Amino acid sequence: MKNVLLSTRDLKKVYGKRDSKFEALKGIDLDIQKGESVAIIGKSGSGKSTLMHLLALLDKPSEGHITLNGKNTSNLKQRKLNRLRNKEFGFVFQSFFMNANDNVLNNVILPLKIAGVRRSERRRRAMEALKTVELDDKAKNKAKDLSGGQKQRVCIARALVNNPKVIFADEPTGNLDSATGAKIEELLFNLNREKGITLIIVTHDEELAEKCDRQIRIADGKIVTDGKGVAKHDPSFIEDENLDGMRDRNHTKEIDVEAE
Amino acid sequence: MKILDVIHDANANLWRSKLRSFLTILAIFVGSFTIILNSAINAGVNDFMDKQIANMGGDGYLEMMPAETYDSLASMMGSNGPQEYTDDKDSANASTYLKEEQIEKAKKIDGVKVFNVLPNSSADYITSKKTDKRYRINLNLVVEGIKFDMSNGETPKFEKDAPYEIAVNEDLAKALGYENVADIVGETVQIAVPKNLACYTAIKRSECQEIIDVKVSGTQAPGILSMGGSRANLSLWNRINAINYEGMPAETNRSYQATADVDPEKIDDIKAELEKIGLKAMSVKDEAGMFQSFFDAILVVFNIFGGIALVAASIGIVNTLFMSVQERTREIGLDKALGMSNGKVFLSFSAEAIMLGFWGSAFGIIVSMVVGNIANKVAVETFLKDFPTFQLTIFEPWTMISIALTIMFIAFLAGTLPARRASKKNPIDALRYE
Repeated sequence: MKNVLLSTRDLKKVYGKRDSKFEALKGIDLDIQKGESVAIIGKSGSGKSTLMHLLALLDKPSEGHITLNGKNTSNLKQRKLNRLRNKEFGFVFQSFFMNANDNVLNNVILPLKIAGVRRSERRRRAMEALKTVELDDKAKNKAKDLSGGQKQRVCIARALVNNPKVIFADEPTGNLDSATGAKIEELLFNLNREKGITLIIVTHDEELAEKCDRQIRIADGKIVTDGKGVAKHDPSFIEDENLDGMRDRNHTKEIDVEAE
Repeated sequence: MKILDVIHDANANLWRSKLRSFLTILAIFVGSFTIILNSAINAGVNDFMDKQIANMGGDGYLEMMPAETYDSLASMMGSNGPQEYTDDKDSANASTYLKEEQIEKAKKIDGVKVFNVLPNSSADYITSKKTDKRYRINLNLVVEGIKFDMSNGETPKFEKDAPYEIAVNEDLAKALGYENVADIVGETVQIAVPKNLACYTAIKRSECQEIIDVKVSGTQAPGILSMGGSRANLSLWNRINAINYEGMPAETNRSYQATADVDPEKIDDIKAELEKIGLKAMSVKDEAGMFQSFFDAILVVFNIFGGIALVAASIGIVNTLFMSVQERTREIGLDKALGMSNGKVFLSFSAEAIMLGFWGSAFGIIVSMVVGNIANKVAVETFLKDFPTFQLTIFEPWTMISIALTIMFIAFLAGTLPARRASKKNPIDALRYE
């Protein structure tokens, strides 16, 4: 399939050594299409965050590999990885991670500054991104003076300022009340629909997960279920070991053939 | 990330914790202030010594006397310890005079440009029409080709047939009745010269003195080396010598010392050569040496203090930046997640260290210049009153820039430890850090 953006094969991640060894991921096979919105769901400790870090090229797998746009990333030099993250990815975190004492504009500018974009150019693009999240009038305000929802919108502006292919959102609504959360969700899905930005959301919020095209449920470092509408089921039911065989793996298998 | 952004951010980050940065900069300031002020005093002293040396004839000026004369002078002063008496050294009076062959050999030494043999000339006193008082006078000869550092007027003309001219010390000019020392230039003063032979039998000294009129060509600022000395030109010197030796046989050995102008680069070799032919030579630097080495020793001590202050300040930099790295762990994580390389993270913390060094030395320069200039004014009115050409502190731009750059480099070295820690942080761990 030509539209595969990110795929993993037998992805494993082990923390620690010998006695304290802990297998966070036990072999993940996954393909994410361009323009897809994917929810990675799981309880804390399930390995969902580890998976996201690996997909976002923030960390290296212990075994297996990740391909981005058909290119194997495991042989890439650190410099190239940094560039890829800077140009292709956007990040939205649960606890925002902003420079609280800096103004909104400078916070949005950060990825462009790291990329070495000219002053006037990065200003223009940051204002554009702020317009998208309807915060262009707050550009000169200090980040710490904003409300939670506004902060997360600034973070979304920061995530999309470099025109990324993928936005990784780690519990984007986790720190927000449901009304503001809904607004943030709407914003993210709009970006996904209108700009075709691939959305990878890590969450344990079933409602949010349900709004995604696809839900990947992780437990104990393995994919439990993968597909549309699986999240509707009772979570306790899904974690049942017996359901392992019921996973819809057709999708993955199909790509296997294409990739080889 | 562009280098200008790195510097801009480093500065902005420093002002995030103002008090902490200020205290670190203060520590660097103490060190840089001490070292910059020291170097300014050093420059001031050196400049003064250079002027003094110029007053005395310059770097290439040598005064010579027979080694025997020097030894007996030295033993008289007690600086050589007890000297053993030997018949052939001390009984032969002639050995305290320069010999023809010594003069001939000395003239041929490589690097000797001018060699003057000074006949023995002495005067009793100097006076002027403006005063009744008579003052003792200590005469030296001007050196051919050398322009002395004059505070007013000119160096006396050296030429053999020039009119009698003298350069006097400013203090002497005042004593002679010229409250405004510049007024003495061009005036005529009187010098009393003894006829040595006649003086053996004269009842009153004035009976054997001849008074000659001499034009004052200029004045010299008082100094530590040329204190009280006056400079006569060659025609005056010869005239005085002629009066001194009036009535004595022409072959009387009249030369007891010589001066030379030599190539300053070769001065040590020339001194060694002269020593071989029995002449003890003293350069102006030799005479200035004691004073200068005393001053150098004081400055070394102060520079050590400055250095210790800088070492302490460096530890302060390490500490400040470690705290900064700790506080900004999440920020570092975010920067790295967004694609900042380890090198750039290292650079941004190093830039902060360098900025600390920059501000510390910038304040050091500004404050030491203010203090130095105040000290100059105070010094001129108090303890340096007698040395108007002595500027206590001189601030040389290049010296200050190189001190500032050195301090910034030291700050950079101190910053490498925390900067390395920051650059090694794993973005995921850093983002998780609470």
